[in-house]
Amino acid sequence: MSSVKATIQDVFNEPGCGKNANKSEAERKKGCTKQLQPGGAAGGCAFDGAKIALQPLTDVAHLVHGPIACEGNSWDNRGAKSSGSNIWRTGFTTDINETDVVFGGEKRLYKSIKEIIEKYDPPAIFVYQTCVPAMIGDDIDAVCKAAREKFGKPVIPINSPGFVGPKNLGNKLAGEALLAHVIGTEEPDYTTPYDINIIGEYNLSGELWQVKPLLDELGIRILSCISGDGKYKEVAYSHRAKAAMMVCSKAMINVARKMEERYSIPFFEGSFYGIEDTSDSLREIASLLIQRGAPAELMDRTEALIQREESKAWAAIAKYKPRFQGKKVLLITGGVKSWSVVAALQEAGLELVGTSVKKSTKEDKERIKELMGQDAHMIDDMTPREMYKMLRDARADIMLSGGRSQFIALKASMPWLDINQERHHAYMGYVGMVKLVEEIDKALYNPIWAQVRRAAPWENPANNWQERAMAAAAADAAALAADPVKAEQVRRAKKICNCKSVELGVIEDAIAAHALTTVEGVREHTNASGGCGACAIRIEEILAEKATPPHAIAAE
Amino acid sequence: MPQNADNVLDHFELFRGPEYQQMLANKKKMFENPRDPAEVERIREWAKTPEYKEKNFAREALTVNPAKACQPLGAVFAAVGFESTIPFVHGSQGCVAYYRSHFSRHFKEPSSCVSSSMTEDAAVFGGLNNMIDGLANTYNMYKPKMISVSTTCMAEVIGDDLNAFIKTSKEKGSVPQEFDVPFAHTPAFVGSHITGYDNVMKGIFEHFWDGKAGTTEKLERKPNESINFIGGFDGYTVGNLREIKRIFGLMGVEYTILADNSDIWDTPTDGEFRMYDGGTTLEQAANALHAKATISMQEYCTEKTLPLIAAHGHEVAAFNHPVGVSATDKFLMAISRITGKEIPEELSRERGRLVDAIADSSAHIHGKKFAIYGDPDLCLGLAGFLLELGAEPTHVLATNGNKHWAEKVQQLFDSSPFGKNCQVYPGRDLWHMRSLLFTEPVDFLIGNTYGKYLERDTGTPLIRIGFPVFDRHHHHRYPVWGYQGGLNVLVWILDRIFEEIDRNTIVPAKTDFSFDIIR
Repeated sequence: MSSVKATIQDVFNEPGCGKNANKSEAERKKGCTKQLQPGGAAGGCAFDGAKIALQPLTDVAHLVHGPIACEGNSWDNRGAKSSGSNIWRTGFTTDINETDVVFGGEKRLYKSIKEIIEKYDPPAIFVYQTCVPAMIGDDIDAVCKAAREKFGKPVIPINSPGFVGPKNLGNKLAGEALLAHVIGTEEPDYTTPYDINIIGEYNLSGELWQVKPLLDELGIRILSCISGDGKYKEVAYSHRAKAAMMVCSKAMINVARKMEERYSIPFFEGSFYGIEDTSDSLREIASLLIQRGAPAELMDRTEALIQREESKAWAAIAKYKPRFQGKKVLLITGGVKSWSVVAALQEAGLELVGTSVKKSTKEDKERIKELMGQDAHMIDDMTPREMYKMLRDARADIMLSGGRSQFIALKASMPWLDINQERHHAYMGYVGMVKLVEEIDKALYNPIWAQVRRAAPWENPANNWQERAMAAAAADAAALAADPVKAEQVRRAKKICNCKSVELGVIEDAIAAHALTTVEGVREHTNASGGCGACAIRIEEILAEKATPPHAIAAE
Repeated sequence: MPQNADNVLDHFELFRGPEYQQMLANKKKMFENPRDPAEVERIREWAKTPEYKEKNFAREALTVNPAKACQPLGAVFAAVGFESTIPFVHGSQGCVAYYRSHFSRHFKEPSSCVSSSMTEDAAVFGGLNNMIDGLANTYNMYKPKMISVSTTCMAEVIGDDLNAFIKTSKEKGSVPQEFDVPFAHTPAFVGSHITGYDNVMKGIFEHFWDGKAGTTEKLERKPNESINFIGGFDGYTVGNLREIKRIFGLMGVEYTILADNSDIWDTPTDGEFRMYDGGTTLEQAANALHAKATISMQEYCTEKTLPLIAAHGHEVAAFNHPVGVSATDKFLMAISRITGKEIPEELSRERGRLVDAIADSSAHIHGKKFAIYGDPDLCLGLAGFLLELGAEPTHVLATNGNKHWAEKVQQLFDSSPFGKNCQVYPGRDLWHMRSLLFTEPVDFLIGNTYGKYLERDTGTPLIRIGFPVFDRHHHHRYPVWGYQGGLNVLVWILDRIFEEIDRNTIVPAKTDFSFDIIR
């Protein structure tokens, strides 16, 4: 496990990652310290993160070494699309049993690899480590190495067992595996000055294919997409690209940055969500390619294409604008989508009442502020009840979120639209934006919402459970308003740092007692932001508040 | 030999073999005066054009692929809903064989029904002797508690008088004087199976309530708190009536199901043949007079029966085969108002669950276009549900729908923005529907088994809801009424939608990039 530890350490040194940069040396050494709250409804594990990041590589046999749980529950669960091979959708697992747990599963793993090669002969096999074999000490690196030598095929160990941390860490560990074993191991037949990599794009619902024709038209070649609709070979020779676009800022930043470091491939972070974002990204691509030696006329052609596509998309969206007049949207999603979709929705004339930034980095938040203004309503961590209240108070007409939050919207009788991986429509690029707007329109005007909102005719509308819940919430609020001591208690009890479970009051006291002015200082005294670091931005805000009205501190 | 005893091929496979294909081709070439295939293709394509549609809709005399059945079928449907009652069809026996096979094929159950077996001499001299002998034989052989007499066209054309014939038969001793033999004239050349249902129901109430054809005193109504429930001609009668009983049980409603055929078409396999099972008892049929109100689930199945009942002092309420949330709400509220019983928590929860299910998946139905055909009330119920789901019931067609029905469907369209581009077609047949599916295509077709030809010809995926459904089993055991029933209909529609998505994405290495496990 030492190699996994080292890799994790390395990932946590990632300078390209805002969060890690945020941590003290000591904190970073601890590796992934973001302990998921025991008892909380948690997200996925590191294995899942690694699997979803790499699974879209379509011609690879993805072999999960572990008991049935890991592959059984994750088999083909993402809507990525393949233009060729379908082997990525085949569920390969060693399905280890009790005997394997006692005597070790390495032989079974080796035999599984052999059988895959004999029966399917894929260009490569990715072997995923999971908790149980990792705990009993199966050395998948050694098995993969032996298999690689024996069969003369790339057999890549993906060392990201579930217990090492959250999903996002798994994304990065998957990237590390590509960097360590795949990237730079083959050479393309030819290169052009127009070769790019797209990193962190998964071709969900075939989204990439909505953008690819534009690149094709400009003569820009996607040398490798990591990993949507990707092929093993393409990743293996991706080090010959001239430039790269980093799509999902959190998932594979380490890949983009290290490729820049190792192979001098400049990259930018961009998005194909939203009309202006798409245009900006196309411009960035062109500009990076020109810097790397492509003819300058590429930019002219790019601008011409942008102008043509934008006006087409605007025209298509324009007809929805009157229908969206005054419609408010609550956006609950993570990472890059929080700002990339904000821009898109504003283009469609929708008003955003809030966006979640739970999974967003500092940069993501900055982008949101740029787009929505300084007073952007960023929701760090919204409890389902808060989400519900927000929707019910009709501060939002529709909620856009991943599948898991949909049920809150539904119980609150609100239109809802899926914009995460399980969605069935592709929203990328210019046409994708038109599609999104069309889907929002459909969701807003679906008659079922009226039906959903209507109480059963025999019910007293003032006494249904929703009203009772709202009344209870209102009563709580009123009680707090009447009791300033309790209100202060509640205010101070707000959890700022989830990882270290640090409350606002503790931070405020520490700031007051030690006259702290920096996040580092607060971390030293309270341990807040010592975990994932996501709350550093909140602590900065608290520090800023404390700095302006001095009487607030003096009182303590 | 393509067929041999070691490996017997069924007809799916056998005739695809080269020997048979060659034989069929030769036969066509040499004996069938084949047309130029290009010409055949041209005509086929022409039949898809608006020009052809215009000619098709100008049809005056010919009915092609009717979406209705005959009165006597409905007569038999109603009659078997009474305890130990055998339907006796006065007329030719061939007709009766049809009713029996029709029901057996739909319900996958034996259907008992007898005829007076009129032949040529009876047609010339009248069917009295057939009636006399027929009633006597039926009474002695099948030991029924009641014989419900209806007619076929043959008896109607020669003008046999059922009332007089039954009287004479009783005088001749075919059946005891006090034995119940209600009757109804049900010629197939008038109306459809829903008319036959109506006539028999009316005949039975007249019989029990109005002095049994002048042989006893008329009953005097002594109002009680009970309600009567009439389901109408309904392919889902087994599941629906059981669901209604459950709902009424939950509400604590005192009720009588009139013509309860839910058991006779769903008898258990336990070694005992039940010629009769369940059903409304004759006592209940008589006492139904005292009820507070009578509910008809299908207005167009009870156009004559309800006024008769109303004339006996009942409040009557007619629905149009309610399916879905709003329609079930309306139905339950009416029951609640009439009986004074509250809607129990259990039904509130079922309602919430249906709404939840709809909300979870309506995005897949919302905006889709449907063509519906079937009995008038079923069409109204389904169209209402589709509008509720945000779908467009683009074509709604009932061969046995009348002008009044068409107006009602139009009102339904007008009540929703999704009804804007929808049209109703009363009195049209499935060949009309065929043209419509070509010239104004829809995403899905809802209809009975016969819709599969339309599915084949036009490529419109068929969702089987209606009567008869011969080629899919056991759907009649599921309710389509109540919130639970709404859920069933929702699932049937969704299943087809998802199957269609799968079908469109199933070709390996061609379309299967979207052949997803999560929909």
